[in-house]
Amino acid sequence: MITVDKVTVGYGTTGFIKAVDEVSLTINDNEILGIAGESGSGKSTLMRAVYGDFSTGLRIQSGTVTGRFEDARTGKVIEAPSSQFAPLWWDQLSYIPQGSMSVLNPLMKIEAQVVDGLPARERQGGSRALRQRIAEFLAGFGLEETVLDAYPHQLSGGMRQRVLVAIAAFVNPRLILADEPTTALDVVVQKKILLMMVEIQRRQRNSLVLVSHDLGVHYQITDRLVIMYQGRIVEQGPTAEVFANPQHDYTKNLIASLPRLHGKRAVEVVGAPA
Amino acid sequence: MNLLRYIAGRLVVYVLVVIFALTVLFFVPRLGPTDPVEAMLAKVASQGAYMDAAQVDALRQSLADTFGLDGSLWDQYGAFIKRIVLTADFGPSLSMYPTPVMELIRNALPWTFGLLLSSTLIAWVLGNFVGLLSGWKPNSTSSRVMEGIAICLYPIPYYILALLLSILFSYIWKIFPLTTTIRGAPWSWELITSVVWNSFLPAMSIVIVVFGWWVISVKAQTTALKEEEFVRYARLKGLSDGRILSRYVLPNAILPQITFLALQIGLMFNGSLITEILFDYPGLGLLIYTAVLQGDFNLLMGTISLSVIAVATATMIIDLIYPLLDPRIRHR
Repeated sequence: MITVDKVTVGYGTTGFIKAVDEVSLTINDNEILGIAGESGSGKSTLMRAVYGDFSTGLRIQSGTVTGRFEDARTGKVIEAPSSQFAPLWWDQLSYIPQGSMSVLNPLMKIEAQVVDGLPARERQGGSRALRQRIAEFLAGFGLEETVLDAYPHQLSGGMRQRVLVAIAAFVNPRLILADEPTTALDVVVQKKILLMMVEIQRRQRNSLVLVSHDLGVHYQITDRLVIMYQGRIVEQGPTAEVFANPQHDYTKNLIASLPRLHGKRAVEVVGAPA
Repeated sequence: MNLLRYIAGRLVVYVLVVIFALTVLFFVPRLGPTDPVEAMLAKVASQGAYMDAAQVDALRQSLADTFGLDGSLWDQYGAFIKRIVLTADFGPSLSMYPTPVMELIRNALPWTFGLLLSSTLIAWVLGNFVGLLSGWKPNSTSSRVMEGIAICLYPIPYYILALLLSILFSYIWKIFPLTTTIRGAPWSWELITSVVWNSFLPAMSIVIVVFGWWVISVKAQTTALKEEEFVRYARLKGLSDGRILSRYVLPNAILPQITFLALQIGLMFNGSLITEILFDYPGLGLLIYTAVLQGDFNLLMGTISLSVIAVATATMIIDLIYPLLDPRIRHR
């Protein structure tokens, strides 16, 4: 699906500040890939390079990010470097931003914000039929149809985040990138949203990349886990294996730092972003 | 129900504001040393008419009566409020006696309103358009040029600009008339062209100055909005620039501008003093100017009350319709 080959990404139009350092990675079809790491480890930057969001001075210095989108519905196969992904946004790939008050347009009703940007294939049928389908889709997230007529400020933080997940998933894309989708939420809502994301991925059989600094989140839902530290990938493998048998010292520390039911926490993680 | 209660509450506030303003308007001129009755008597005397003491007293009494200056201050105040609230009657003009103040206002109002409404709207639309584009694409040549023009025009003192236009376009190049003279029968084509012709320079002078201000304020709005997360999200949804601009940036940028516009429209009832004096334009501004120079109490009260009521009304209307524009604002 996506092949990241020895890519170095950073910021700057005149100078260059490296944020991701010679990273290689494959995102497979039909899997949930987790990317973990502390703040400043380069996971969001890597995410932007994969999505093809090269604004605000982000650029690839060396290496390549290429995508291959096989669309079973149309039989079309598209291959392109991520710098040319923009026409595929909200068609082959979609994105779940880190939820905050201001991600949704304050002056637009939720229904319009779900519809805005939808590819033609998901719009079929009249606007009433479309509304019906969106309402059913939202019901799967525990959201009532009245949410469609609400403005963002009328929803709670958890509801807004569920709406954001629903907007990205309703596109029915081949790849969904989620950047800290549950960070600001309490664990109960967080768990609900995560289970929803798993269920949708299993149904749509597409790829989901989940960026989070929360190892607990990764343990719950990801198939494969990538650990980033100071702009590099220090470890990757099936999630269960990484947790059972961590190879890199940083991973060992991270896992040891998780709170336990019995006994005391083993270590504190020492490490600052370079 | 809540909505009705809100509207009722807002109306009460509105009435209180207007009554308070009328009260101030009533008392302030009466604190001054000039007495319009004595001034009128002096005027009559200066014209050489001879009257004996009894005649002077009779005239004084009848003037006080017509001017509404009879009785104690409180009697006068009660009568004044009653007259204005019930009949919207400000009495006769003292300087253009016996023409009623309301008639003078009614004659001047269309002039001022036509001039100010059209020039303010033109400046608002143009300014918002240019400001939006230059905020959206700050590095393009056209937006740099337009913004440069706006920034150069904005700080020019209005009277200098108006004088300059007047000198350039009616004195050096005699394209437009120096003073306003309107010809033609009512509603004839000649009248319309004559009005447009005579109003062009004053309107231009207003458009030019106000335009710069709108450009600068909308540009600041747009620049800030561009960094908003919902605009970035819209971009990552693959929406076109035009759609992001029209559905995400414009509605959010325009909200404060609508408030300003409504206040501007309220302020129109002040007339535009300097414009109307410089271009000898027969509007409210010129009327107020005359009233001040002639010490015409009634006319002054009438024009100023009108502008107070207009501003209060505009603010109230904005308060009432704002929830329709911005869903985050609601009537309690």
